[in-house]
Amino acid sequence: MSFALDALESTKIAWHSIIANKARGALTILGIIIGIVAVTTTMTAFNGMQSAFREGAGGVGADVIYVSRMPWITINDFFLYRNRPNIDLAEAAALERAFEGRAIVNPSINNNRDLKYGSKTLQGVTVLGTTHKMLLVSNRKPEFGRFVMEFDVRYRKNVAIIGQEIAEDLFGQTNPINKEINIGRYRFRVAGVMEKMGGNTFGGPNFDRQVFIPISTFVKYFGGRRFQNVDVAVKPPAVESLDDLEYEVIGEMRKIRKLRPTEDDNFSINKLDSLLDAFNSIVGAVVGVGLVVTSISLFVGGIGVMNIMFVSVTERTREIGIRKAIGAKRRAILMQFLFEAAAICLVGGLVGIAIAWGVSAAINASGLLPASISPAIMVTAVVISIFVGVFAGLVPAIKGARLDPIEALRYE
Amino acid sequence: MNPANRSDAILVLRDVVKTYEMGNQKVHALSGVSLDIGDNEYVAIMGPSGSGKSTLMNIIGCLDVPTSGSYSLGGQMVADKSEGELAEIRNRMIGFVFQTFNLIPRADIFHNVELPLVYGGLAKAKRRELAERAIEQVGLTDRMTHKPNELSGGQRQRVAIARALVFNPSIILADEPTGNLDSKTGEEIMVMFDALHAAGQTIILVTHEDHIAAHAKRTIRLRDGKIESDVRTKDSAAA
Repeated sequence: MSFALDALESTKIAWHSIIANKARGALTILGIIIGIVAVTTTMTAFNGMQSAFREGAGGVGADVIYVSRMPWITINDFFLYRNRPNIDLAEAAALERAFEGRAIVNPSINNNRDLKYGSKTLQGVTVLGTTHKMLLVSNRKPEFGRFVMEFDVRYRKNVAIIGQEIAEDLFGQTNPINKEINIGRYRFRVAGVMEKMGGNTFGGPNFDRQVFIPISTFVKYFGGRRFQNVDVAVKPPAVESLDDLEYEVIGEMRKIRKLRPTEDDNFSINKLDSLLDAFNSIVGAVVGVGLVVTSISLFVGGIGVMNIMFVSVTERTREIGIRKAIGAKRRAILMQFLFEAAAICLVGGLVGIAIAWGVSAAINASGLLPASISPAIMVTAVVISIFVGVFAGLVPAIKGARLDPIEALRYE
Repeated sequence: MNPANRSDAILVLRDVVKTYEMGNQKVHALSGVSLDIGDNEYVAIMGPSGSGKSTLMNIIGCLDVPTSGSYSLGGQMVADKSEGELAEIRNRMIGFVFQTFNLIPRADIFHNVELPLVYGGLAKAKRRELAERAIEQVGLTDRMTHKPNELSGGQRQRVAIARALVFNPSIILADEPTGNLDSKTGEEIMVMFDALHAAGQTIILVTHEDHIAAHAKRTIRLRDGKIESDVRTKDSAAA
């Protein structure tokens, strides 16, 4: 008896058996549905968080590395970095010279200052001193007005380009362009408004609540030497060369800082990948726990299927005897019950996926997370549900396959 | 009681012993049965309960193997076959008809009759052809898509006969085939067996009813695990 024939025949038998016990089958399937919905929704939520994070971190740029004093993410190891020297403008300039013609290098400094327009004040807004090259190393651009320009930097102009949220909070419906605002104690003219970034998830920076000014102006007003800590963005011409560039940047920085070979780097290289890694390890751990918990519900569903399969094998002892008497081998009986268990779980899995699809659409519509079921998750859910079926059906099926035909035929 | 040593015997038992262990006790269900059954014989096996006739039927039907002694069916030694090989022999060479019909309740008549062919690995078209022919042979073509519980007892037993016939087995092994039927319907079933025999089919009946056994051409009586008598009647002198 060929496998294909086994499969076809077993599918038919499984179907008949399930529809013969509708209520029982439905309840058993319900267990699997709940499990699959739980597992699938968890995976979908993780995907949603990941894409929300990506969106939020969009301002970072996937093809840029940042040289900074500290790693972006420090977990209990802050003390390792606290004695590092700041990266100053001279070092940033040296790095820029070293990569001239090979990569775009953009320095920026940030600090928090209060913003004032008329009677309105915004406290603790992130003020970024940067150059026109900011537009080249990130996907950010002004929505209207203009960004910091080269001559702004050269002549230390008092111009500010404000984020969307600031524009809304300070100006409301008024056009902010060419209005005068105070940053700290100094007057700036608003030259542009940045495009909305969204994001602000998971404690990341709120990109729409930032003000950009020329880096030279920043140093003049806010950058006492002691607080001058530059972040340097380095962007290669092609994203493929990012890894090579990373080593070159480390080498150049060590040269600039005259580090001996035995000394550790006293600066950090940051990139989107390291943010994503950190995100994945933190959220991944939470989701991992979530998956374990939801898997338990799927496991319980599987036990339900196993239980019903034991009942099914016992109920059909005589049928097994008949089938064996007319020539069914062990394998045929085994397949019959495995298919039945797998079919129950597959139906549960498919219904579960449909429900999870609805749930994720609802989450999406609520604006909580950009959740959507990916084909990969659907395929995984189908595979998992079949696997649960086979797992749950195996022991009962073996029990059925091993029955002695004489005993089985005598069973009342 | 010397069984005729026929050269065309398809079923040969020699000194077959079957012992069951019940706790520490050994129960001899069969203690040395030797028997030849030839092609196109029509045999009734009789005996009171406990005589070993069920055990003998199980061994002849390849559902069980002897503790000692030999059994060959169509030239194949059964005793040393694996479980899977026994299933194949049952599938190809033996057609069972049971007292309680033993149809698969959820499957329709066609599928019930087709089932041995499924396990035999036949292609769908061939299965359909053979199953339809067998169903026609028992006169139930118009009931092909019915479920067993929609049929009368006699009809169910005819379905069972069709299932037994479908793979053209060497022997049909019927265990009290009329036991659950009223006498009129039982008689109809026996007429069907008679016709099958007339058409060349080898049939072994297990029964305790004399008027059923009377249809056979040879009657073997068992008592206490041994053959008590082996009597040929009517026209089996052809041997």
